[in-house]
Amino acid sequence: MMLEHKVALVTGGRGGIGRAIVGRFLREGATVFAADLTEHGSLTAHDADGSHFLKMNVASEQDVQAAMADVQAHCGKLDILVNAAGIEIEKTIEDTTLEEWNQSFAVNCTGTFLTSKYALPLLRAAAASGTSASIINFGSYDGFIADPGLAAYCATKGAVHALTRAMACDHGPEGVRVNAICPGYVDTPMLQSFFTGDGSGAGGKTIDQLQQAVRDVHPMRTYGTPDDIANLVNWLASDEARYASGQLWVLDGGLSAQVQQMKL
Amino acid sequence: MDKQTIIVTGGSRGIGRAIVDRMLADGFNVATCGRGLRPEDLDEAVLWVQADVSISSDAEFLLKAANEEFGPVDVLVNNAGVQVEKSVLDSNDADWDLVMNINCRGVFNMCRAALPDMVQRGGNIINIGSISGMVSDPSMALYNASKAFVHGLTRSIAVDHGPKVRCNAIRPGWIMTEMAEDGFALARDPEKAMADALARHPVGRFGEPRDISNMVSWLASDQSSYVSGECFTVDGGMTAASPLNPGLF
Repeated sequence: MMLEHKVALVTGGRGGIGRAIVGRFLREGATVFAADLTEHGSLTAHDADGSHFLKMNVASEQDVQAAMADVQAHCGKLDILVNAAGIEIEKTIEDTTLEEWNQSFAVNCTGTFLTSKYALPLLRAAAASGTSASIINFGSYDGFIADPGLAAYCATKGAVHALTRAMACDHGPEGVRVNAICPGYVDTPMLQSFFTGDGSGAGGKTIDQLQQAVRDVHPMRTYGTPDDIANLVNWLASDEARYASGQLWVLDGGLSAQVQQMKL
Repeated sequence: MDKQTIIVTGGSRGIGRAIVDRMLADGFNVATCGRGLRPEDLDEAVLWVQADVSISSDAEFLLKAANEEFGPVDVLVNNAGVQVEKSVLDSNDADWDLVMNINCRGVFNMCRAALPDMVQRGGNIINIGSISGMVSDPSMALYNASKAFVHGLTRSIAVDHGPKVRCNAIRPGWIMTEMAEDGFALARDPEKAMADALARHPVGRFGEPRDISNMVSWLASDQSSYVSGECFTVDGGMTAASPLNPGLF
């Protein structure tokens, strides 16, 4: 087990990717707090997995402070913070309302800022005990190259990438490593929503055809699973990664290694 | 002001010829080269040198010829390049020698020939890389790798030979040439293939050689005097977008 005696908090911890991370951390021996808006997150059902649920809106300073106080009271330290909570507005900037824009930044950027800000004293406490404290943010390959009709999402993820490097510079000397994972297409409720829109498919294609078409564009001929992401999160959270900091880890099945794939 | 002198390698056709013509129009003395004879339609003001940049003595000869005709060289554009459309598995030793000797050794040879003078009196090197050196075109393994070399060498020259020498690269995307048009003609459904490829270009058209020569002109000018060590993508926005089919969603 790679994470024995470590304490972890995962935001969006009951959602698609977050739930896989929580499960993996538990199997690796960590004490895990799963923070989310509701007990079932973006999924429908949740079986008790041994994680401690924290009801938290990451954009609420009050919620975040209360959650960190809980962690402080129960464990006195935090070794691992994973900022996996995120939302996606599927619109161009022209169609995006100011409220949607602000909400995107509130969850994807401000949330990462708030949880990191209030976790730092707990992370320093962990680092002081001689282990490797780690923040893992969620960027996206969309922070590097754009998917059409996802403007606010792309912008928030680019901001997370820059914040990741800034935090790594500022808090490295305190023993806190900061990295971001930049997933490509991962099979989550967010992706399925992106595929289906109103549930009818898009561009004259059924959902199955859309999914297959997307798989075919990937060099690995598949898109990722939440477990694929959890594998890297687990490594970055562990002491195996004690020299890894300030980096943006693209995990996309090779998608962004290619130039546009013309159909000739 | 005295005329400046520029060498453009591979100026017989395509992007190289567009650069030659533009730099002539910008008032430069232009020398160019190719492995063959002087193209009949090349402007008579241009110095043509039959030279293979992959051979170091040819590169030195090209420099000397330009010096003798025009004087010291102010700007060097390394444009000459070849591509072999194969994966690693299909590539043989001859493919390696062809691609690496021209695309990599050729750039090295020309830079090495031009730098001794440039580090004394100042100079400007512009290399033609490719988006394929950043993101991979399928079945173009050696070409992709050779262009990544060009990007890396660009940064090294900028770092090692500043402040006297500036060095930058341009990464063209799809530049429409006769070769590309032939490619579409061979497609199962040429019209559909063309529409698909166009949809991947946010600017709504394919590149033209002059899109690249426009950038060369800027990089060769004093407008870019603080610009060095960079690789500039000129691809109509193609690599800013995800490789996913834009028609999907």
